[in-house]
Amino acid sequence: METATFRAEVHAQLEQIGQADIVVGIPSYNNAHTIGHVVRAVQGGLAKYFPGHKAVIVNSDGGSSDGTMEVVRSSAIADFSEILLHHRIEPVAKIALPYSGIPGKGSAFRTIFEIAGILQAKACAVVDSDLRSITPEWIELLIKPVLAGGYDYVAPLYHRHKFDGTITNSIVYPLTRALYGKRVRQPIGGDFGFSGAIARYYLTKDVWESDVARFGIDIWMTTTAIANGFKVTQSFLGAKIHDAKDPGTDLSNMLYQVVSATFELMENYADTWRPIRSSEPVPAFGFEYTVGLEPVNVNTARMLHTFREGIRNLGEIWRDILGAGDLSEVERVGAQADDEFHFPIALWTRIVYDYALAFHHQVMPVEHLIKSMTPLYVGKTASFILTAKDMGQQQAEAEIEKLCMEFENSKEYLISNWK
Amino acid sequence: MTDFYQTGVITTLHQLGKSSLERLESELHGFAKTRPIALVLPALYSEFEGPAMPGIIKELGKVNYLNEIVLALDSASESQFQRVRELMSPIPTEVKIIHNKGKRITEVYETLARNGIDVGVQGKGRSVWMMYGYVLARGRSDVIALHDCDIVTYNRELLARLCYPVANPNLDYVFCKGFYSRVSNKMNGRVTRLLVTPLVRSLQQLVGPHAFLAFLDSFRYALSGEFCMTTELARVNRIPWDWGLEVGSLAEVHRNYSPRRVCQVDIATTYEHKHQILSPDDASKGLMKMAVDICKSVFRTLASEGVVFSDGLFKSLLVTYLRHAEDTIMKYEADATINGLSFDRHEEAKAVETFTNAIAMAAQAFMESPMGTPLIPNWNRVVAAIPDILDMLKMAVEEDNK
Amino acid sequence: MDDFLNLIVEPINELFLRFKTFVPNFLAMLVILLLGILLAYIIKKFLVKFLSAIKFDNWSDRMGFTKLMRQGNLWGKPSQMVGALAFWLLLIVTLMSSLNALQIAVIDNLVNQFFGYIPRLFSSAIILVVGFVLTRFISRAVLITAANSGFHYAKLLADAISTLLLVLIVAMVMEQLQIAPGIVLAAFSIIFGGIVSALVIAFGVGGIPAARRIIEKDVLDKGKEEAKDEIEHI
Repeated sequence: METATFRAEVHAQLEQIGQADIVVGIPSYNNAHTIGHVVRAVQGGLAKYFPGHKAVIVNSDGGSSDGTMEVVRSSAIADFSEILLHHRIEPVAKIALPYSGIPGKGSAFRTIFEIAGILQAKACAVVDSDLRSITPEWIELLIKPVLAGGYDYVAPLYHRHKFDGTITNSIVYPLTRALYGKRVRQPIGGDFGFSGAIARYYLTKDVWESDVARFGIDIWMTTTAIANGFKVTQSFLGAKIHDAKDPGTDLSNMLYQVVSATFELMENYADTWRPIRSSEPVPAFGFEYTVGLEPVNVNTARMLHTFREGIRNLGEIWRDILGAGDLSEVERVGAQADDEFHFPIALWTRIVYDYALAFHHQVMPVEHLIKSMTPLYVGKTASFILTAKDMGQQQAEAEIEKLCMEFENSKEYLISNWK
Repeated sequence: MTDFYQTGVITTLHQLGKSSLERLESELHGFAKTRPIALVLPALYSEFEGPAMPGIIKELGKVNYLNEIVLALDSASESQFQRVRELMSPIPTEVKIIHNKGKRITEVYETLARNGIDVGVQGKGRSVWMMYGYVLARGRSDVIALHDCDIVTYNRELLARLCYPVANPNLDYVFCKGFYSRVSNKMNGRVTRLLVTPLVRSLQQLVGPHAFLAFLDSFRYALSGEFCMTTELARVNRIPWDWGLEVGSLAEVHRNYSPRRVCQVDIATTYEHKHQILSPDDASKGLMKMAVDICKSVFRTLASEGVVFSDGLFKSLLVTYLRHAEDTIMKYEADATINGLSFDRHEEAKAVETFTNAIAMAAQAFMESPMGTPLIPNWNRVVAAIPDILDMLKMAVEEDNK
Repeated sequence: MDDFLNLIVEPINELFLRFKTFVPNFLAMLVILLLGILLAYIIKKFLVKFLSAIKFDNWSDRMGFTKLMRQGNLWGKPSQMVGALAFWLLLIVTLMSSLNALQIAVIDNLVNQFFGYIPRLFSSAIILVVGFVLTRFISRAVLITAANSGFHYAKLLADAISTLLLVLIVAMVMEQLQIAPGIVLAAFSIIFGGIVSALVIAFGVGGIPAARRIIEKDVLDKGKEEAKDEIEHI
């Protein structure tokens, strides 16, 4: 066990604290100008909503060079126990930044789970360190269902721009929902609440050296919670606005990390998801209110260009994955004029299932496989943007609901081909 | 992209523009509620090990409008039969396999033989006939579609387009034949190009206008192995068990139905399958055997419609055919040139030579025994002879597939 | 008279003596041959069993060997082809060793040369296989990356890379097999150099307008793109 990495410096601190009711983890990496706000919000939330509970804030830093940890230290309000530590980053993680921007986020989470275990915490929460829209209420919303409601896992619900979170909306949410039968709207939200019991359960899983821990910790936590029958709920947190991402983040890398983690989990939980045929809503906490959202610019022409170039160049690879029939459907979609471009949801569903099956049957190296999906995903996203252009939030959400139903209705295809 | 010209007496359905498979399939899904569709597949075990069948299975896995799939398996041992069942299992449609070599089906064949019903030897014709019988026995489908299992470029759009004209209740077709161009880097489909069309046109020249010849000439690809029909048609049709299957089936359709209820549909832009060797010296295999069987089937059909074949007619036919075929070669050479396809004139000439011999042989065989062309009786007749045969077949297949 | 008889008997005697020494050798050859064939057959069976147990066929489907075989109009299973290859190789080895048993100087020489050549054959086979797998991997990675960034000539680029690498590999194999090493080196230099200079000319001279277009388009696009694509995919 890697616990030794923090024992030397932190163990004394942990012994001194002894026991805590609540542990809030903030993994960070070069977030000096946002983390102060996050820490203050967390402290405010703990003080306001859980004054009678002993709470600890853990900042697990991935080797920031911009003084993130100093900011955390200086933002501290008195009477709080905080633990600051560096989490171990594997060399690979430094090169391949995970989509959420934090190298070794998996290791950071593991450390947080371990501290929660040692302190015998009843409830924990993790929040991203680049959040601009976090308020003290978030802490209540993430912790309360665990402490008072007996839930083991609290997934976030955000108000987001209708064009945001497209990987979630067009792949991860419909797929997890169809697979495991629980409608968790933001399975890879990044901010979660969970019980001490589930933290201990996570630690028993042997995934910490794998890609899942490196890139896909969010989907892993959610899926593990659902698939192992933990009590899952959601909390409405309001808008999610965070620091602008590095524009250099490669989309296909992002897709590779998220989708490969999701597919990998399908392998492990095949026996769990196979018998499931429908989905049920997951209870939600919090008061749902509409928030103003910044407008978003998109260049669909460029996206369509990427999609069509993909058809030209990757057709042969796609044929192996999708089969001749759906490849010609994709070609047909590509031949449409820009203004009437439409990517049918049934086709998209089959594409996602075909990729899952290709992953399962190991048709080609995983990275090649999933990265070859990028132009298809871009095409689908462009189609969604064009369709939802003039739609309100609710109508756009209804479109996503349609896609989810398509995933659920076509699941038989996935099951019968999963051999 | 094809033209929109209507050929001959039957309806031609072209592929115009890029129609959506999504739409076709969702409509078929609707039609299938009132007219359930069965797909019958004549297959050899070797096709499962080759490149074609895995692709076909992958595509069929996504087809959701079919009511049942019946596959007749030839040349397979018991363990291979089990393997085929496993390979077919990803397909969501119910799949039943007729294991032609299995002991139960063998028993069915023996029962037929005992009662004087000659179903011929192992081959596509016999398998197809048996599958019709099984679909009739189950009585669950109104439409039967059939395609070969050696199509390397299989795309499920092919199936959708093939089923559509018969499945759509508003169109009122009872029989639909698939057509496509057989072009890779050269022109394939020699038998159709260089034998059937010139032969039919020569016969037209010699015997004058004839309804069946006009009917046959209307088909753009008379020998394509892909067709779709109503189960009623399958019940009354007799089919030859040899290579005359395609032409013979068309003859039966012509005999029983008006050409207005027959159509052909463009099912694929590319089509590639196993090629037959030419085998010019041996009349018992390859293209030679195929050509002889086809010619016999044509002669027999015409004779049954009152055309008188004499020695002199056959002699003239050979000469007329040769001239037509040579003209055809020139046409296709030009066609290949403008499209930048390679064209081996010598190979084509050799094929024509082979086909000329085939016509002569078929003529001789016909003169010696005009009734000799094999036709399996239709199922109505078989049921009259052995009332329980369909039940027996059904039980045999259900038992085998348990 | 005796002399005459001797004249006749001696060659016969000689022949008989030679025959006497030859027969055991010949028998040994037959035995080696038979045993070798048997062994080769057993090894082939075992190899095929082993390969299908480790799912070699699936691996070969993934790595593109199967496709390569199909392109060469070989429709068997890859594992069986490897088995057949091993069988024939062993058969040749058996044949060589059995010929060796005949103890004829010329054949001996030939056999020695053959066995001296085997290691090279082996290493070149390895180069070929590894090189092929690597080439495929690299060219596919290039293809996907280029296509994902919307590059119009992604496939051309990937094909060019795989051709270059294959030329390199074939040259390495030839070099390893010592097939006219001088010529191979020269031919390789000429081909490789030729390809590179062709590319230089194509992109340098022929590509000037295209390059200008790309650059202009890029510059123009840059101007427009500042405010674009703010959606978050996660």
